[in-house]
Amino acid sequence: MEQIHLKEIKSVSYEKAEIKKGYTDQSLRVNLDSNDIIINPIQEKIKNKFIGGKGYDLWLMWNAVSGDTKWNDPENAICISSGPLGGTPGYPGGGKSIVTSISPLTGAPIDSNVGGYFGPYKKFSGFDVIQVDGKAKENTIVLIDGIENKIKIFEAKDLPTDSYELSKVLTRHFDETKPVNVSVVTAGPGAAHTFFGCLNFSWWDAGRKMVRYKQAGRGGIGTVFADKKLKAIVARFGAVSMKSNNPADLDALKLVTKTHAKEIHELDPKQNRMALVGTIHLVPIMNDHDCLPVHNFKFGSHPESRVIGEEVYEHIFDKGFDGCWKGCAVACAHGVKDFSPFTGPYRGKKVFVDGPEYETVAGCGSNLGIFDAQTILEINFYCDAYGLDTISVGTSLGFVMECFENNQITKEHTGGMDLSFGSRFNALEIIHQMARGEGFGAIVGKGIRKMKEIFAKDFGADMAFMQDIGMESKGLEFSEYITKESLAQQGGYGLALKGPQHDEAWLIFLDMVHNFMPTFENKAEALHWFPMFRTWFALCGLCKLPWNDIVPEDNKNNPEPAKVVKHIGWYADFFSAVTGRKTSSDDLISMSEAVYNFQRIFNLKMGYGTRQHDALPYRAVGPVTVEEYESRQKRYDGQLKEKYGLDITGMDSTDKVAALRKKREEQYELLKDAVYERRGWNKNGIPTVKTVKRLGIDFPEVMEVLKKNGVV
Amino acid sequence: MIEVDDKKITWSEHMTVSSLLKNLEDVESCAVVRLNGRLVSSPDFSETKIPDNSRIQLLPLVAGG
Repeated sequence: MEQIHLKEIKSVSYEKAEIKKGYTDQSLRVNLDSNDIIINPIQEKIKNKFIGGKGYDLWLMWNAVSGDTKWNDPENAICISSGPLGGTPGYPGGGKSIVTSISPLTGAPIDSNVGGYFGPYKKFSGFDVIQVDGKAKENTIVLIDGIENKIKIFEAKDLPTDSYELSKVLTRHFDETKPVNVSVVTAGPGAAHTFFGCLNFSWWDAGRKMVRYKQAGRGGIGTVFADKKLKAIVARFGAVSMKSNNPADLDALKLVTKTHAKEIHELDPKQNRMALVGTIHLVPIMNDHDCLPVHNFKFGSHPESRVIGEEVYEHIFDKGFDGCWKGCAVACAHGVKDFSPFTGPYRGKKVFVDGPEYETVAGCGSNLGIFDAQTILEINFYCDAYGLDTISVGTSLGFVMECFENNQITKEHTGGMDLSFGSRFNALEIIHQMARGEGFGAIVGKGIRKMKEIFAKDFGADMAFMQDIGMESKGLEFSEYITKESLAQQGGYGLALKGPQHDEAWLIFLDMVHNFMPTFENKAEALHWFPMFRTWFALCGLCKLPWNDIVPEDNKNNPEPAKVVKHIGWYADFFSAVTGRKTSSDDLISMSEAVYNFQRIFNLKMGYGTRQHDALPYRAVGPVTVEEYESRQKRYDGQLKEKYGLDITGMDSTDKVAALRKKREEQYELLKDAVYERRGWNKNGIPTVKTVKRLGIDFPEVMEVLKKNGVV
Repeated sequence: MIEVDDKKITWSEHMTVSSLLKNLEDVESCAVVRLNGRLVSSPDFSETKIPDNSRIQLLPLVAGG
C-alpha cells in the first residue's frame, strides 16, 4: 500500500443519536475555514415539509447561500443526505445518497443521486444530512466514524492523485480488517481542472474483495469539492440490518421488502435482464427507435451501434453480484475486470472498470462516432479515475467534434489534433488533458456554455450555429437521448429544474412510440406527475430503477401502465412501515410537490428559474442542418404537409428546415404554457403565491424572493 | 409451435412479430420483444420473421434511464 500521511487537526466525540423511524433528526455541519464541527437538531416542521434526502439538502443549501453566491465562494455548501428509507438492506435500490451544491455549470442548485454505502453509513452514524462549507487551506479529509462516535478532520499529504487509487487506499487506511465498514467520497484531478467534476462514492465488493464505486455525476459537484481542497469524506459504520432504521412496523417492512425483491428476482430475467447487462439493453432499443445520440445528437441511429450494445458487453462484464447497495435485487452496477488501458498513466496495467452504463456508451461512444467497446471502457475508466462526469464529457466532446468538422475550430486551436467524429485516440487525449488542466482539454472542460463564448470570442466561430448545436440547457450538458420527435421529452429536458437530465421525466416512448399523450394537456399532465413522483425517490434515499424498469406481469392491464401503480402502492407501504406516517400513493406526490416548487424558487433566488431559462438548443427540437433534414426527409416532409398543412412544392431543403423550425419552436412555447399552468406557475414559469401557500412553503424568505420577482 | 412469455402458440409460416402481436391482447405498450435472445424493436416488427420453435418475450414499457 502507498504510504499516506494524515495529520489530525480536529477530533470531536459525539453521542450518537438514536435512529427513530428512519430519522436521526440531526444534521452535521463541517466548516473548512474554521474546522468547526456543528451538530444541529432538525425541526419537526422541516422534517414534515422537506421529508429528507434532496429536501433536506435544499433546505440547508437555501440557508447557506445568498442570491449572489457563486459556486466557488466559501459559503457554497456541499450537502449529502440519505433519506428516511435509505439504508434498508434488501429493499431494491434502497441505499442512495443525494448530493447538492451550487453548480459551476449552471450557477443554480444541482442535485445528483448516487449509489454506494456512504449515505446509509452517514445516517446510521447519527446524521440525516451533512453540510460541508468553507474552504480548507491544505488538502483535507473528513471522517465520520459511527463506530468510534467521532468526527475527525485531517490534513492529508502524499495521497494518490486519482479517485481509483485514493478510494482503495483510504478504505484500507480507515479499516484494514473490515473494509466493508468504510465508504469513501472522492473527486479527482479532473474535478479540480474542469467545471464538470463528479464525485465517486465507494462500497466494498465482498465477493471480489475490492473497492467499487458509483458516481454523483451531474453538474460539477466534484469541482466544488476539489475547490474546497477536500480530498475525501469518509463514513465508517458496522453491520446494517432491517432494524437499523428502527422502523415503525418491522414486520410490514420485511413483507414489502421481500415482496418487491422477489418480483424482481422472478421478472428481471424475463424483462430487461439488468442483473446481467445493467442499462446497456437500451443501446440497441434507442438505436432502433432513432433515439440514440449519434454525432452530437445529429442522428438517432447508426448501423455500427450493435458493436457497443448488450450483445457485446454481456460477454465482457465480470460475472458476480453487482449491487451498489446491500442485497439489491436489481444489481445493475456491472464492471469489467483486468482491463488494460492503451493510453494514459494506467497504460498496460490491469484495472477494474466500474461500468459502462447506457449514458456512457451513448455519450462517449455513438455520440462521438466511436463504435468500439474497448475505447468506451477506457474513457469510462479514466473519467471515473479523474473524477469527470461521463455525460458532460461525451456531450461536450460531441459539440467540439461537430465544430471541428464544420471548421468553427481548427487544428490551430486544438493543439494540432484532428477532432473529427470517430477520433478515439484524440478523444482520450483530450480527457487526459482535462485531468491535467492543460491544452485544448482545459477549454473543453469548461463545458459547452463557456466553450461557445470562447470559440466565438477567441476563435471567431459562429455563435448562432453553436447555439443551435451546443447540447446544453441552463448550462448543463444533455444526457443521452434524442428528443426531436417527442415534444413531451423536449419538455422533460427543457423544464427540468437543474437542466437537461432525464431523471425528472423520461417520456419518449409514451409520447413518440405509443402516442399516449396526444394533446398539450396530456403532455402537461405527464410533465407534472412524472417529475413529482421521481422527485420522491430523491427525498427518501432510493433508486428509481426498481419502480419501472422491472414491472409486474399484470401491469399491462392497468389503464395507466406507465405509472406502474402496483409499485407505487408498495412504496407507500414502505414509507408507512419505516416512518409510521400512514401514507397513500397520492401522498407521495404531495411530498414531492412542495420540494419541487421550493427548488424552482431556489433557482429564482439565484437569478434563474424563469421562462427564458427553460430554453432549448434547436438541435433538441428539430433538424438544424440540411444534412439532418435530408437524412429523414420523408418524415419531415410528411409532417410539413400533413401535420402543419403546408404546401412544400417548390421549397428547397433550406426552406423546409426553416418552416419546420418555426412550427416546432411554436409548439415548444405552447407546451411551456400548458405545463406552467398545470404546475400552478405563472406565464413566466414562477410558482404563484396561491401554489406556494397550498404547498405550505410560504416561508417569509420564499415570499420575499417571489415579491422581488413581481409575484405577489 | 412457439413460446410467447411461457405460453405455447401455434406457429404459422410467414409469421412476423407484427402479425403475432395483432393476435394477442393487451400489447399496446409493447415496443420491444426479445426473439430467441435478441432484442427486436417496433420499427422492425413487420419485417422480422419468427422461425418455428422460437421463444419470444414481450418486454414491458420501455422506461428509460
